[in-house]
Amino acid sequence: MHAILQNLSILAYVAATGLSFAYLVQREELIHRLASVITGAGWVAQTVALVALGHELGRPPLGSLGEAVSVAVWGIVLLEMWVERRARVKVLGAFVLPVVLVFSLKAAATRQQLPEIAPALSGAWLWVHIGLALVGIAAFALNFAGALMYLLQERQLKAKRPGKLYYRLPDLETLDRLSYRTLALGFPFLTTGLVLGVLWAGAAWGSVFAFDPLALLSFVAWVIYAGTLAGRVAGWHGRRAAYFAMFGFAALVLTLGAGLFLPGKHG
Amino acid sequence: MALVVAGLSHKNAPVELREQLALEEDKLRELLREVAAGGAAREAVVVSTCNRVEVYAVADVPDEARAAVFRQLCRHRGVDQAAVEAVLYTHVEGEAVRHAFRVTASLDSMMIGEPQILGQVKDAFALAQACETVGPTLHTLFTQAFAVAKKVRTETEIARHAVSVSFAAVELAKKIFGGLAGKAILLVGAGKMSELAAKHLVEQGAFPIYVANRTWARAQELARALAGTPVPFEELDAALAGTDIVITSTAATEPVVTLPRVQQAMQGRRSRPLFFIDIAVPRNVEASVDTLDDVYCYDIDDLHQVVDANIRERLREAQRAEALVDREVAKYLARLGDVEVIPTIVSLRERLEEIRAGEVKKTLARLQGASPETREALEALSAAIVNKILHAPITKLRESSRAGASRSWLDLVHELFALGRK
Repeated sequence: MHAILQNLSILAYVAATGLSFAYLVQREELIHRLASVITGAGWVAQTVALVALGHELGRPPLGSLGEAVSVAVWGIVLLEMWVERRARVKVLGAFVLPVVLVFSLKAAATRQQLPEIAPALSGAWLWVHIGLALVGIAAFALNFAGALMYLLQERQLKAKRPGKLYYRLPDLETLDRLSYRTLALGFPFLTTGLVLGVLWAGAAWGSVFAFDPLALLSFVAWVIYAGTLAGRVAGWHGRRAAYFAMFGFAALVLTLGAGLFLPGKHG
Repeated sequence: MALVVAGLSHKNAPVELREQLALEEDKLRELLREVAAGGAAREAVVVSTCNRVEVYAVADVPDEARAAVFRQLCRHRGVDQAAVEAVLYTHVEGEAVRHAFRVTASLDSMMIGEPQILGQVKDAFALAQACETVGPTLHTLFTQAFAVAKKVRTETEIARHAVSVSFAAVELAKKIFGGLAGKAILLVGAGKMSELAAKHLVEQGAFPIYVANRTWARAQELARALAGTPVPFEELDAALAGTDIVITSTAATEPVVTLPRVQQAMQGRRSRPLFFIDIAVPRNVEASVDTLDDVYCYDIDDLHQVVDANIRERLREAQRAEALVDREVAKYLARLGDVEVIPTIVSLRERLEEIRAGEVKKTLARLQGASPETREALEALSAAIVNKILHAPITKLRESSRAGASRSWLDLVHELFALGRK
């Protein structure tokens, strides 16, 4: 049952991505409304799927990286819907949903193998570690979208030859605020998640990193975000902050990619 | 009776001719009264602006109404009617409805989306109402045209995106700063255009305003006009550091705002961009200023470029608006047609029901002692036959009205079923 619902939700995200792009090109209110409804429907289907999966497994559906990425997708979509309404950035879907799509296809590809969790991997701390890190990732996906939109709009304004995006994207101030706020939201979650992971790994394996590629790369991402946040506090903004948001998210994607492709303890 | 619109506009008539034909309000009143008295048109509305002169009329013979109105008009203005006739366009029925919708929605304007035309058509309609030349047909038409115009404005962006340089500058400022409330403006030099741009910015909440000018008296004068603060030209650097939007328009031959000056102004501003609107020719702001982060510098050519792009965007939106108008015209005609055929459908039903009831009564009178079941069956049978026979003609009538060709069908049905007066 959960597999069918998962597939349905992915289908919905595919459709919503297409519609969001269409809305970016053609300002037709109906397209936007349709995209929102389909995104919402996909999210509901995924919620039910995750609950069903958790029920079946008898544990949170966070045991494998594939499951975790799926939960991250769930969080990103939820946050996207919320921010879109809050910040009134109607084109946000076109910049967030492609990320959602890549993640959920990745998660679907690894879904079939449901590995037994190593005995070392258990306990509430583990779920908290994963959960917090995922909230951080969801916020950073929005951070990435905000930064990307900022860079595109800034380029339009500097080029002085307004193209389609100039009309469709919101103002720089809104976009900069969006990426600052998502950074401020994501960072504490990522930090706490990583600290718990480190403590827990130390306790379980007796070593902090144990040459796990995911752990190493996530540390790189954390350093980038920590640097950006420090810079923001010191007055960074706009283009420089946006570039760092892109680097940070690239590191995060690499982190998850490493977890999915390279052998390591995150499996 | 038919709806007809005849007229000339900026699309087909030279400005000299339009000028000659344009009427003031009291002349227009006179014209409307004459048209009504002449009897060529039952209803009439005359729209007269500098870009168009056109007459909407309901008349038995559209060509006669058109000729009568323009004969009067030409006589009033002393214009040769033949010259006018040569450039007149005429639309009837569905096309006239489309024309009314397009004109009112500003899709036929010289600058697509310009807002004045809606008000002008409303005035023309009000005037015709005052002269009592508006009947049910034109009333429905114009009420709907105003609704469609509103819909076009809200659902498309044909009226968005500035088509003047000063408004384009305001829109750019909004794309950079979001809201303009509390953004400080600095005017360097004076001029009509910079004053206008500053006024638009102030309307959006920009405050405070600083005015710098080589001539202190001029700075004071302009500052007074804009409720701003005059700044000595020597303190330009300090003023730059504290403003968000700078409008330059001095007659200086060398750039007044140089790269080092702006670099210095950007120090310690944290997240405050600086937007230069350089209206002066030659330019007052050094071009290399643009390479700095968070500095946006638009000269007069750039602003014109933005205006051109805005017009292109309006034209793209106009295509969507045209589709919307098409849908509205179809809806309007369908509703109108239904209204027109419904009385016929009703009397057709009544006519057949009358025949059916009469025949059933006669038959039952002969069938003494028929059981209630038999009576019921007879009623049901006759009703079913009538409905079956009526189905095709009624469908056809509705279809014909939707296709805008109900008249001949209505006549035919009236003839065939002897429905008497239409």
